[in-house]
Amino acid sequence: MNVTDSRSATHVWLVSLVASLVLTACGNDTSPTSADSVAKPSRAEREGLKVYRHSMDGAPSSIDPVQARNVYSNTVILNAYDTLYAFKYLARPYEVKANLAVDMPDISDDGLVYRIKIKQGVYFVDDPAFEGGTGRELTAEDFVYSLKRQFDPSQRPAGAWLWQGHIVGLDEWKSDGSDYSQEIEGLKALDRYTIQITLIKPYPQLVFTLAQGYAAIVPREAVEKYGREMGSHAVGSGPFKVVSYDSASIVFEKNKKFRQEPVDIYFEGYNEATQKETGVEAINGRSPPFVDRLEIHFINQNPARWSAFTKGNETQFLLVPNEQVDTVFSSKNPITPNPEYASKYHMGWYQEAGLVFMTFNMSFPTIGYNDDPEQERKNKALRCAMIKAFDWERRNESFYFNLGRVFPGIIPPVTPEFDPDLSTDSITRDLDGARKLLADNGWTPENLPTLSYGSQAGVSQRLFFEQFRGFMVKIGYPTKKLKLKQYATFGDYSKAMANSELELVFKGWGLDFPDAQNTLQLFYGPNASPGSNDANYKNPEYDRLFQEASVMQPSPERTALYRRMNEMAIADCIGIMSLSRTRIMMWHKDVIAVPDREIVGGFFMKYVDIDKSLLPAGSKGK
Amino acid sequence: MNAPASSVTSPASLPEERHESIWGKALYKFRRDRTGMIGFTVVMIYFIAALGVWLGIWGTHWSDVEGPKWSPMSSEFLFGTNIIGQDIFQRAIYSTKTAFEIGLVVALLSTMFGALMGSLAGFFSGTWIDEVILWIKGVLDSIPFYLFVAAVAFAMKDNPYAMHVAMVSTFWTTTGRLVRGEVIKLRSFEFVEAAKAIGVPQIVIIFRHILPNTFHILLVQATIVFVAAIKSEVILSFLGLGVQDGVSWGLMISESTLEVLAGFFNNFIWASVFLFGLVMAFNMFSDALQDALDPKKVAAE
Repeated sequence: MNVTDSRSATHVWLVSLVASLVLTACGNDTSPTSADSVAKPSRAEREGLKVYRHSMDGAPSSIDPVQARNVYSNTVILNAYDTLYAFKYLARPYEVKANLAVDMPDISDDGLVYRIKIKQGVYFVDDPAFEGGTGRELTAEDFVYSLKRQFDPSQRPAGAWLWQGHIVGLDEWKSDGSDYSQEIEGLKALDRYTIQITLIKPYPQLVFTLAQGYAAIVPREAVEKYGREMGSHAVGSGPFKVVSYDSASIVFEKNKKFRQEPVDIYFEGYNEATQKETGVEAINGRSPPFVDRLEIHFINQNPARWSAFTKGNETQFLLVPNEQVDTVFSSKNPITPNPEYASKYHMGWYQEAGLVFMTFNMSFPTIGYNDDPEQERKNKALRCAMIKAFDWERRNESFYFNLGRVFPGIIPPVTPEFDPDLSTDSITRDLDGARKLLADNGWTPENLPTLSYGSQAGVSQRLFFEQFRGFMVKIGYPTKKLKLKQYATFGDYSKAMANSELELVFKGWGLDFPDAQNTLQLFYGPNASPGSNDANYKNPEYDRLFQEASVMQPSPERTALYRRMNEMAIADCIGIMSLSRTRIMMWHKDVIAVPDREIVGGFFMKYVDIDKSLLPAGSKGK
Repeated sequence: MNAPASSVTSPASLPEERHESIWGKALYKFRRDRTGMIGFTVVMIYFIAALGVWLGIWGTHWSDVEGPKWSPMSSEFLFGTNIIGQDIFQRAIYSTKTAFEIGLVVALLSTMFGALMGSLAGFFSGTWIDEVILWIKGVLDSIPFYLFVAAVAFAMKDNPYAMHVAMVSTFWTTTGRLVRGEVIKLRSFEFVEAAKAIGVPQIVIIFRHILPNTFHILLVQATIVFVAAIKSEVILSFLGLGVQDGVSWGLMISESTLEVLAGFFNNFIWASVFLFGLVMAFNMFSDALQDALDPKKVAAE
């Protein structure tokens, strides 16, 4: 290559670089222009059908209720299958209601026997699994069969923990070989439409558990015909029927056999002051589902999900990515939507029913329990120092745009048992205090243990770790002694947690039901790894209080016990806890809905309606 | 005809006489290539930057998180800060060390391995040794490069050298193929025939007499692999399969995916500029080196 050629080539490269940067910058114009929001009708829409396109930031691991192990699976399953109970569409705080059940259960005085009547004339969707291909009527036996599946190891169940140790004879049925012909004393179909559940001890959360995807009802014929394929083939009696399902999306059509039950929005908890703007009054007195076709698109990448929502009608719902918070809000305190977006879309936000936190794995003698009491005391001092060194304010600012709510302990603000007056010492950064604790207990950079911090692979998770490490460096923790261990999938990471491979575990927890018992069980001794207590915290007093509270109905006494357990977890320095995120959602103006991905989850989709006349001027009819 | 005074040159000052060996001629030719010299200078600047990081002179605060979130460029933070308040200038400088570490290790090992396999295949051309080596190369070359590198890096995920192993195991094949061809040519030369005739062991013939004559190929290949390794590292790190501990331009670009939608481009721009600068400079250097070391061109001149 001669010099002249090189120069020309260099100029071309430089121009290309500048051009690409400029184009990238220009491409960041994310404002919702009229052209952007022009809806391009699909074939179904041109035929006059109502289509709702939802987006989720992840994909289901399975659509078989027996494996409804994440929020994405749960959302899908609740639209294809029926559950005995559900959460009211509009009520906040969340309230449970009868769904397939005729009413709330009839409970014996001792709180041990539940009788549940189910609705008559409910049919499964048509499927070759049934004789003649026509869906048959759903009966009480189907529920019994479905719950038994959760205790049949051959089905690879994931939801047994909800009922383990609670229902008379169910655990024994499993240990006896899971023979479906064998009757279980505590789980019976008294007649075609009556279920009876007998408990070993009172279980106040039982009704909540029957509103989970895990408790969705499947027909035995389908399980026997499809086997493992149930993970991708749904045969339910829910409001929608699955038409297609792959790694990118799932498409439902309206289940024409779905029971006619007019909606009473006031019974559902309608709050005119906060929900009138959504137009949800329009569905009052009508029977769901209202859309002919429901599409749920699994779009993991934030930019792609944002683009699918703003650049037309590819999706009509968006859980706003964190990096777009400043774009969609003109002020965060108080939260004020950007008028430009507010004029184009519905916007909603709420505190999540869950939390993010980090725990120390107490089973490691380097950081947790130790046979040497002196070392165990030093370990506790180290944990407490690390808690003091953590800067929740920075974490909230960096990743949650100061919209998260930091709180001490493990009882999140969304639960009725939350204690707003609890001391905030455990969430207040105190570098001097942390350094003093280390020095007083003989910790030096040389003798501090090397710790593995686990996370799922991903750029956010890496930054979480780097920030955590940066906080710890401030109290003298050597950079090289804090190691990041990333796992390709959430499943791999969960497995590492279950196998107790990591000293530090950062995790999020979404409440299955609005009861702090659901988070307190994360530190209950018998739930230690491979269970949900991956901190492997074992405190006899905590466990005793947990057992005592577990049979109590909601009451001030039970709340007091919950709070004591929470304080014990804080005092023992078993984790850096906690923060509840603010979820921000946007949905198109033609969508009549009050979306939710927390406790109500997938239940809301059958109430979604579409009215194109509500679209802003300039985007209609094009 | 009178010639101007300035055009009179004494025979002693003629460059041809000062650079009679092929290496001397190559060096002379390279020094006259301005593009190559610019590239070499820029590479040296990067190398000094990497050396400084390695010696702990600068870039030591790359992991600090005490700066403000997304600070713009200022005298305190030359390139601004990222989402967790890390100094982007410090991280970009530190990443030069990462790039050189990976580039040098991969270039050195894959060139050495390629030379070894290529010379064996070439010297024993037509035998089963050649067949086996060609088959291995064929198999490795038939797998899409990034798929293979990603698979090896993924399989050895906890190993900090997974990426190095993945790259070395694929990059040596091109070097091996070029060396094989050169060795096939060289083994029929008289000096090899002579060595054989006086009973010099084959292994000595290969490593003492033949391989040194392929150095011009190895040198050029090493520079090409160096650049390829840096680019691959960036892609692998972007995919989460690259650098495990530390920071690299690939990781910085990966981080920027959280930032560009919010309107913050510093991570993306500076990591790209640093990467672009080094890759372009190395390409210029490599091209000039290739021209300078081409035996046909050197001989012709």
